[in-house]
Amino acid sequence: MTRTQWLGALFLAPAVIFVMLFFLAPVMLTGVFAFTNMSTATGIGSGVHRVTPSILKELAAKGMDREAVETLSRATFRVDSRSIARARQAGQDPAFLAELEQRHGGQSFDGRRAFERALKRLSARPRSVRALKQAAAHFELNILNRSFETPQALVAAILEAGITLSTEDRTALVAASYTGWTWTTDNFRRMVGSEDTATVLVNTIIYVFFTLILFNIGFALVLAISTFYLPKAQATVIRAIWFLPRISPPVLYVLLWKWLAWDTGFLSAVLGVFGVEARNWMLDTSVNAWVFVVLINGFVGASMGMILFSSAIRAIPQPLFWASQVDGASRWQQVRRIILPQLRWPILFVTSYQTLSLLTSFEYILLSTDGGPGSSTEVWALAAYHTALNNYTGNLEYGYGATLALVLVAIGVVLSLAYLRIFNFDALVARPRIET
Amino acid sequence: MGHIGQTMQRLIGIATVAAGLAAAPSFAAEYAISVWAGGSNINDIYRVDAIEMAADILTREAAIRGKDIKITVDKKTYSGWADFKQAVTLAAESAKAPHIVVTGHEDIAPWAQAGIIRKIEDLVDMDAWPINDIFPNLIEISSFEGAVYGLPQDAEARPFFFWIPHLKEIGYSEAEIAALPDKVAKGEYTLYDVLEDAKNIQDKGLVAEGYGFYPRVSNGPDYWQFYQSFGGEMYDAARGKLVFDKAAMTKFYQFFVDAVAKGVTRKNHIGTDWGQWYSEVASGKAGLWHGGTWHYARYTGKEGLTDFFGNIQFTLIPAGEKGGRPNTITHPMVYLVTNRGSDDEAFIAAELVMIASEPRINTLHAIKSAHLGIAKSQMSIGLYSNDRWTSEATKRLLPYANAMPNHTGFGKYWTVMWNGLKAAWTGQKSAQQAANDAEAELKNTLGDAIVIR
Repeated sequence: MTRTQWLGALFLAPAVIFVMLFFLAPVMLTGVFAFTNMSTATGIGSGVHRVTPSILKELAAKGMDREAVETLSRATFRVDSRSIARARQAGQDPAFLAELEQRHGGQSFDGRRAFERALKRLSARPRSVRALKQAAAHFELNILNRSFETPQALVAAILEAGITLSTEDRTALVAASYTGWTWTTDNFRRMVGSEDTATVLVNTIIYVFFTLILFNIGFALVLAISTFYLPKAQATVIRAIWFLPRISPPVLYVLLWKWLAWDTGFLSAVLGVFGVEARNWMLDTSVNAWVFVVLINGFVGASMGMILFSSAIRAIPQPLFWASQVDGASRWQQVRRIILPQLRWPILFVTSYQTLSLLTSFEYILLSTDGGPGSSTEVWALAAYHTALNNYTGNLEYGYGATLALVLVAIGVVLSLAYLRIFNFDALVARPRIET
Repeated sequence: MGHIGQTMQRLIGIATVAAGLAAAPSFAAEYAISVWAGGSNINDIYRVDAIEMAADILTREAAIRGKDIKITVDKKTYSGWADFKQAVTLAAESAKAPHIVVTGHEDIAPWAQAGIIRKIEDLVDMDAWPINDIFPNLIEISSFEGAVYGLPQDAEARPFFFWIPHLKEIGYSEAEIAALPDKVAKGEYTLYDVLEDAKNIQDKGLVAEGYGFYPRVSNGPDYWQFYQSFGGEMYDAARGKLVFDKAAMTKFYQFFVDAVAKGVTRKNHIGTDWGQWYSEVASGKAGLWHGGTWHYARYTGKEGLTDFFGNIQFTLIPAGEKGGRPNTITHPMVYLVTNRGSDDEAFIAAELVMIASEPRINTLHAIKSAHLGIAKSQMSIGLYSNDRWTSEATKRLLPYANAMPNHTGFGKYWTVMWNGLKAAWTGQKSAQQAANDAEAELKNTLGDAIVIR
């Protein structure tokens, strides 16, 4: 490689690393998680094997050997030569073990509490709760509610308890008792089969479409063109003001909107003078909520388009305007015939960039309506957030949330390719036909 | 032998230093125990402070046994639930969960399966005091799959409240107001009577429109009470499955739709600010509402209501239809010991939890926050027995109280129920449509774990 190529690679390296760390790796992990049933209950790490009464009940209903289920359901503690030898090997006090053998040799106890009560009556017993429980553990033949790290440990404990299971019963038990996550395609079936998904999809389309058309492109054009025709000082001030929503901390920005729109806010106070009763202008109906969601996000989004369009308009050669003025063109004709055609590429860029940006943005909606009223402003990204990361019942479903996020990634990729195709991106970056 | 050799001098030097070091006080063990509590506001501070008090007692007990230990307790409270549960769950995944967590009992099921929490019965002597004094049904609520995972931290019930002066204005006599709890308990006064009274109060101009019936403004166990009022059951213990009673759910949704249609409740009531809600109900701006036993502390404390019993009557949540089931839900909080740290730390944490559950310490929390006690002997502690609210609420509500089930799928069921209620209440869907959609969603997500009736 030449020195220039090395330098190029070096300069690219940080960007490549960041893209891999913050885009590729998360996307791949999302793709992986989407095929699992990871949730709060299964945990993210590997699970253990734990047999509970409900699992045994279910297995019995599915045809497991009744007697085996019966024995497995009992929490037995047995004092026999084997368990005493085990305890002695583990270093328990011989005097205590001797007394235990003498008083309870050969006995079985139904449940930990009964056994511990018996132990507490011995005079040579360990004199702390912890030591007592450690001693009791050696006599435990119970497998209920105990965590076994591997299937082998579970099987060994079952054999230890003297229970014989057929191979299929054993496999069923090992499978049913696993508490961790498993691979599954259920998430996709669930997503497709759910009514909510369709509603959320429609909400997302409404959100992206209206915000994009009305503000990110529409109002941005209005701002760019009007500030072009204003004196420089005024134009700068107006552009600076319209930048404020984007650079304000989101929480403060949305708080200002709440002060405007809520029952006890500015709008209610002003309209109250005209006899309109106070109401929550933001959350009253879903239409209200949508209006505010589009306004809140639009005010933020308009500034990017405004800047790009402004600089693009500035790049138009002035003689074109002078010539059109000489020809008697009105402002509107100038806009239609000179400015807009030159803004084709910037509009393309803003459309594709902002569509993808709007698809994934949800923080302003989270702060303002939180998907309400009802679930009428719940957009896809917000639904994924509520499913996987934050909801009232604490029931976080990482796997299903990843599925929702994966769909978003897929849509993003498809849309990007579509935009590049439709707007003929190749032509923009094609090599010039003039030789350099 | 005259002088001491160099090696000998060095040895003497080292011995002196060692003796000096040995004389300095050192702790046999130092523990830094962290405790987080969710859904806790300023009145609930004893949830975490009790652990500190327990640490003091445990340190003294250890000193008597001849072991010097030092315990520092790191406390943190969250006022909401969503952020708290997210924090605990994600911290647990990276083994950084707090040692002790105070949360609602419904978290035991998923957290037990995920291995986030240890069983308290493995760490403490369940036959010892104060555990043997705790109400058995509370121990039952703190268990999952037959194993006791946590110790109850408090108990409560969720009553229905009436503003007495407004009731008097619409024609209730003193005797009728006093007889109201009984009427509700017998199923003679129903939820639709509630709407009637709310309408009358509103029509008389005593409260503003939409304030006649002023329910809770965010999700909570309270809403399951209305489902139960219409005959719904949450759980079939015999089969170990959740239960979706479609008729009851539809009627439950319809009740709130009717409340909005009647004009006694606002369509977008949910999402109102809690601070605003508390100050309004405690000052007579609402007619009828519902809440929890701990509201007593808030109304008489921060909201400055001086005569609680003269202004507020409380009953069970009325039945949906005559002869139906008036009820109340109790949502006990539990102390849980997590998988954080060594076994040593876990045993210490469990002992702290056990000491914090002693009647006297628990009573401090019970009375300060107006929750109910967990142990039988609390009834004879002066601070508790002399508190009028605690004794009346216990007598009137607890006998009829049941709790939500401990089931790993219950969180999903709750979310679906809440989404359906929101949709029907705000008018997005009809009550029937909302119930149908809830049924479909539950079949889709819970499958076998729920029984559809």
